Amino acid sequence: MKLFLKFDYTTVCNRVIEEQLKMFNFKYQQTAFGEIELLEKVTSKQLQEFNSSIENYGISLIEDSKKIMVQKIKDVIRDMVLNKENDVIVKTSVFLSEKLNHNYSYLSNLFSEVTYTSIENYVILQKIEYTKTLLVKQDLSLTEIAYKLNYSSVAHLSKQFKNTTGITPSAFQRIVAKRKESHLQ
Amino acid sequence: MIRITPSKLLKIVFGVGLFVILCIGGFTYKHIQELSESTEEVNDTQTLRTELEHMVYNLKEAEVGHRGFLLTHDSLFLKPYHESRLKIDQNLKRLDTLIVKDKAQRENLNQLEQDIVKRFIIFNKSLNIATDDEILTKDILLLLHEGKIKMSRIRNDISVMLELENKLLHEQQKKNEEAIGITPLFLYSILILTLLLLLLAYAKINKDLMVLKKTNKDLKIFKTLTEQAEIVSKSGTWMWKIKDNTYHFSDNLYKLLGTEPQSFEPNLESIFKYVHEDDAEDLRQEISNMIKNEDLPFVTFRIVQPNGATKHLKAHAKLIDIGFEEKQLLGVAVDVTDEFDSFNLIQERNQELERNNKELSDFNYVASHDLQEPLRKIQTFISRLETNDGEQISEKGQFYISKIKSSSARMRMLIEDLLQYSRTNNADKDYVNTNINMLLEHAKHELSDSIESKGAIITNDNLPNLEVVAFQIQQLFINLISNSLKYSKEGIAPVINISHQEVRTNTVKDIEKSLFKYHHKISFKDNGIGFEQVYAKNIFELFNRLHGKTEYSGTGIGLAICKKIVENHNGVIVAEAEPNIGTTITIYLPFLK
Amino acid sequence: MKIALADDDEDDRFFFTEAFDELKVKSKVSTFKDGIELMHYLEQAENELPDLLFLDLNMPKKSGISCLQDIKANSRLKDLVIAIYSTSSSEEDVEHTFVLGANIYIKKPNDFEKLKKVLSEVVTTNWQYITSGLNKDNFLLRL
Repeated sequence: MKLFLKFDYTTVCNRVIEEQLKMFNFKYQQTAFGEIELLEKVTSKQLQEFNSSIENYGISLIEDSKKIMVQKIKDVIRDMVLNKENDVIVKTSVFLSEKLNHNYSYLSNLFSEVTYTSIENYVILQKIEYTKTLLVKQDLSLTEIAYKLNYSSVAHLSKQFKNTTGITPSAFQRIVAKRKESHLQ
Repeated sequence: MIRITPSKLLKIVFGVGLFVILCIGGFTYKHIQELSESTEEVNDTQTLRTELEHMVYNLKEAEVGHRGFLLTHDSLFLKPYHESRLKIDQNLKRLDTLIVKDKAQRENLNQLEQDIVKRFIIFNKSLNIATDDEILTKDILLLLHEGKIKMSRIRNDISVMLELENKLLHEQQKKNEEAIGITPLFLYSILILTLLLLLLAYAKINKDLMVLKKTNKDLKIFKTLTEQAEIVSKSGTWMWKIKDNTYHFSDNLYKLLGTEPQSFEPNLESIFKYVHEDDAEDLRQEISNMIKNEDLPFVTFRIVQPNGATKHLKAHAKLIDIGFEEKQLLGVAVDVTDEFDSFNLIQERNQELERNNKELSDFNYVASHDLQEPLRKIQTFISRLETNDGEQISEKGQFYISKIKSSSARMRMLIEDLLQYSRTNNADKDYVNTNINMLLEHAKHELSDSIESKGAIITNDNLPNLEVVAFQIQQLFINLISNSLKYSKEGIAPVINISHQEVRTNTVKDIEKSLFKYHHKISFKDNGIGFEQVYAKNIFELFNRLHGKTEYSGTGIGLAICKKIVENHNGVIVAEAEPNIGTTITIYLPFLK
Repeated sequence: MKIALADDDEDDRFFFTEAFDELKVKSKVSTFKDGIELMHYLEQAENELPDLLFLDLNMPKKSGISCLQDIKANSRLKDLVIAIYSTSSSEEDVEHTFVLGANIYIKKPNDFEKLKKVLSEVVTTNWQYITSGLNKDNFLLRL
């Protein structure tokens, strides 16, 4: 028998972090997803131990401030795409600089430097990833998804999908369906 | 319900007819007897009457004799008197035999007899007196007088008898008449009825006879036809009467075996003399099953004719139980040698064709695929050379490099198109009901870069859903649109209009040979450079190009692929063009309504 | 980043390693000259697994498809990110390998610069999948 699971990564991560922090008796305050403020001083040795402990779950401490900022940018973009915060139609650049209190060109340069890709590309990647999730999990039509993600037309979404992944949305759906079929057999 | 067959009906009709005639005979006989009886009675009455009249006459004679004697006393007169007396006795005796039946008449006769006796007593008295006294005395006068009275009484008696006899006769006749009265009418009508029945029966027999005659004729024709059919279809028939285990073979069955008709006793053993030894055992098994099950499913076997030729026969039999007294197995054997041979030939050819096709497509694929590898390396190495050492190469060298690049690019295009052409060959594709509009959209996406760079405007009608191999039709659209983009007029934005309509096959000349009744007509009309209409057919041929390689890049395969795709879908593709005005490519795809 | 390539063509292996050398990405490329050699390496438990595995389809002895099937059937290997690296680009091949579990399909480019561009795109996209916690089941990329 095959079971298909659906994960809420945010909850999973938060739960794991919570448990680990409690295990190390750290006093803390969660300021954002992936950002924790420690309320007491801890030694670097303790931090190292904490790091190696959470690495078992595929989580690690980001030490570099640049990396932290990139992670913040990614989180904002993720929220923006997933939580439809872009209902207020503003440009990503404006939205990001407002949220993170930095000018956009700084953020953009930083992002490219660390990830070898642009913020714009990352936004598109996130949108297309979300489209994939919706196509697979929620059985929404491309028209509905285009509307949900504020695309000007289905054609635009379809074209962007093709440009990003190299395949059409319908081919994607077909492949996923066939994979599932061969798994079930 | 009891079913009355025509023949039973006939039997009934004849039985009834016979019975009625017998009855009528009986009745008639009885009546004639009755009639003759009544005639006898009339005769008897007549004789009685004559006898009575004779008697009166004789009495008168006696009286005349008696009177004569009384007057003359001449004994000469006594002679007739005596004779009369004798005659009257005889008369009485005869009357007595005549009147036997009726009681009243007998009493009358007795009265008459007594009266006659009394009369003669008076005669005798008066005669005696007369002989004693020769004169007429008072006594004689008295006696005469008395005699007269007696005479009138006799007369009265006779008239009573006659009357009674008449009455009796009359009654008898009336009775007879009554008895006979309705009988003739009755008999007559029954006779008429019987005649009618017989007539009907006759008509029926006649009709049946006609039908029988016709059926016989038909049967004869049918038999001839069957014989003809057997000869033409190379088949023979046989019959097996199961009860007495006898066989009958048709003439052509003998011919199938390569022998003269009816040249041997029709039975199973004689058949087996001709059966190919390899098939004999199987056939025996089938036959024994046939004898057991009284049925023979299709069985195929070989026979060897006396001239040595081997033939393939197919036999089949069915038990016929209706309309025959006994069960019969009716069989057919067909010579299937030709079928067998042609089937083998077709199979061989098919295999050969399949092999050829597979070889061809394998060759195509491998050639195209394997050719790409070295070419790709040439191109990659050239690109390495250009980027790494480009500056150190002389101008001429750079020119050569650019030539190598464009040649290898062209070769790549050729190979890719050839590869696509060979893939389009594959016939075993899934035909799926597809929204053609969607395929057109995909095609436009695919070409979006060049559509944007040329500023092309593409409009289209709503296209139907069709049973197609989706990626082939998409390829078709891509090729057609990219052709229109490629052969557009310089400096003028390409305008492509895609129109659709349903057409009846018989209204369009290009598709008149199609077996389908309806076609979708989809036209791609552009405002490009067009071409002379005389080339309209050539452009769909492989490697056929209308323009120099340097003017327009093209391999001459694109439209050949289009043609192949359309033909894979049982369609037709045609072109219409005018130089400097534009080109219209029209595809016709059949559909069922 | 650890990268592996199985390709029977020496020139292609050469282009591949050279391209990675010229890319800015820090990478360690190991190459295998056929499917047998590759599978032999992967099946040794002590060997490090690559972050990204490139498979040529047409290889002697053991084809890329066969390697792909073996990898997907192996519980230790089935989560490897697999990129098909082939001369062919027929729709059937592409869809077939995706259905069998490949994540990326690359048609070998005929230009070295293009090859670099493609490989860099693959690596960065793969990197995004690793670092941004994206669902790898939906990772399909055709170049």
